[in-house]
Amino acid sequence: MFKRIKEIYEYRTMISSLVKRDLKGRYKGSVLGFLWTFINPLFQLLIYTFVFSIVMRAGVEDYYMFLFVALIPWIFFATCLAGGSTCITGQKNMVQKIYFPREVLPISFVISQFINMLLSFLVIFAVMFVMRYKFNPLALLCLVPVMLTEFILALGFTFILSSITVYFQDMQFIMGILTTAWQFLSPVMYSVDRIPERFQTLYMYINPMAPIIIAYRDILYYGKVPELITLLTALAMGVTLFAIGWFTFDRMQRHFVEEM
Amino acid sequence: MKSENAIEVHNITKKFKVYLDKGRTLKERTLFSGRRKYETREVLKGISFEVKKGEAIGLIGHNGCGKSTTLKMLTKIMYPDSGSIEMNGRVSSLIELGAGFHPDMSGRENIYINASIFGLTKKEIEERIDDIIEFSELEDFIDNPVRTYSSGMYMRLAFAVAINVDADILLIDEILAVGDVAFQAKCFNRLRQIKSEGTTIVIVSHSLNQIEQICERSIWIHDGLIRLEGSPYDVHPQYMAFMAGNSLAESAAKKKAKAENGEASEEANQETENASEDTEKKDDKKDGKRWGSKEVVIDKITVLDSEGKERDTFLNSEEIIVKINYTNNAKLENSVVGVAIYRDDKVHIYGTNTLIDMSRMLPLKESGVITLKFDNIPVNAGNYIFDLAFHKPDGFEYDFWRDAFRLKIKNVKGEIGVMSIAHSWECEN
Repeated sequence: MFKRIKEIYEYRTMISSLVKRDLKGRYKGSVLGFLWTFINPLFQLLIYTFVFSIVMRAGVEDYYMFLFVALIPWIFFATCLAGGSTCITGQKNMVQKIYFPREVLPISFVISQFINMLLSFLVIFAVMFVMRYKFNPLALLCLVPVMLTEFILALGFTFILSSITVYFQDMQFIMGILTTAWQFLSPVMYSVDRIPERFQTLYMYINPMAPIIIAYRDILYYGKVPELITLLTALAMGVTLFAIGWFTFDRMQRHFVEEM
Repeated sequence: MKSENAIEVHNITKKFKVYLDKGRTLKERTLFSGRRKYETREVLKGISFEVKKGEAIGLIGHNGCGKSTTLKMLTKIMYPDSGSIEMNGRVSSLIELGAGFHPDMSGRENIYINASIFGLTKKEIEERIDDIIEFSELEDFIDNPVRTYSSGMYMRLAFAVAINVDADILLIDEILAVGDVAFQAKCFNRLRQIKSEGTTIVIVSHSLNQIEQICERSIWIHDGLIRLEGSPYDVHPQYMAFMAGNSLAESAAKKKAKAENGEASEEANQETENASEDTEKKDDKKDGKRWGSKEVVIDKITVLDSEGKERDTFLNSEEIIVKINYTNNAKLENSVVGVAIYRDDKVHIYGTNTLIDMSRMLPLKESGVITLKFDNIPVNAGNYIFDLAFHKPDGFEYDFWRDAFRLKIKNVKGEIGVMSIAHSWECEN
């Protein structure tokens, strides 16, 4: 296991150049280029603001912000579920012909999505600043472990899904459906207290994204430090799924080339 | 693992499942599970070999014999079912060129991406980037997007990256056919240079010629087993003879089957066996040193001096005349005729043919004599082996005769080395 980590570290340049290729290559050739990375979330935010402040009042103060601080991390996670499942099969040529630690592909995919999320957060911060939201420095500090936990969780799932997809191509389409369902089962569009009280504990411990989203909302929307139990639950589930994910991946990767 | 070895392969086997109707989706997997029949095909049945450090070996064999699978296992993109592979040193593979190229990014950016996929760190790439650009001869275009490149430029860039990844062990699969002739020669020279620096090389190729130029040893894999191993000079004739025998047998079987319209396929099979036995017998007689389709056959070779006397020993300044009597069985209009000269320790001295010399083929009669005249053969003292061949421009051989005749060549003076080079000394005072 240690040897494997060392080997992946030796391929760090490959990871960074794949991430760069993804980020730079995505908008290459378009007039606005990299600016699209900011325009996209900004316009999404405008649409949500219009819909939920004027058309459909939700009964939550600044609902668009309430929604958006949860939606950005959710989109990151959902992209890893749906898009991450094809990150091995999508690079067939490379995988079939060249040796490199296979982990490199999921890792660079998740990193590039993660960077996209960070850039979207810049938009959120800018809007919060303009709207004169109160920033709580201590709470903002908690954002770092929360983001890292979400990263580990997303990577774990990408490991599992990308390796299953090699053997079973339907996985990518199944994940498309499951991701939508999962979004409605997570406190993205509503807060946890809307769930019947007797289900709340179960809800928290069965859905690894629930504590993470709650933490994001506590920090950014309510401007408060999340409860320790929320953070610990999130971390424990993140680490567990990461371990399961890597183990699964390691087991399955030996036969990738034959199955493709 | 022995310390002088770079690669040790111990008895590796590999089976593939070949699905007759592969179901990949949920529906197919559950509903039609009965249809998902597969055959297990044993691609490798136990192969062992060792490669010494600094040695270059070639893997040959017909399509599907398992040579590429072996190379893939050396590359670690596949793993053997049983047996083990040990390697000592950094491995690099020239199997896929231009992996990860992004068409909208510049040549320079793509060098970084591509080289990083080969496992180079940023620092290592920066050390090599000037060499890479120089080798690719794309200095003027290196900051243009790769999509604006011609396919030749694209391959040149890709090859330049691959060949500049230093490694202790270099694995190459059939990729030397890159770019124009000049660039190919450049790649080949670079490969020789890499070899002289002590890199171990394993090549899979259909071009026996390429293997002969680089490798000390050929391994012929047939039906998942090693059939023959040894110097390319010894192995290749037997391989060619076997292949020619096989294709003769095949065409005989086809003719037979056609004639009888599949009525007596058993008989055809019998024929095949007979045919292959025949050819094998024939070739055994000639020590596997002669092969070809026999549409033109060399009957007799006579070596004469300038006075028309038959001799087998010459001075390296003397004229040598070779008369080749042939029979044109298939009444062909013309053919390429080629010659190759080896020293008896198998150093390749010279090779040419009528296509290279005069860019044409020689007209043939039903039978006749072709004269090949050397003004002199400027080599140093030793025994020399001559190969002669009649073949098509594409290399298809009518009659290839390895070791067709031998000559002893003597020195006028006591010079040493491969060649005797015309020269003079002068003293300016």
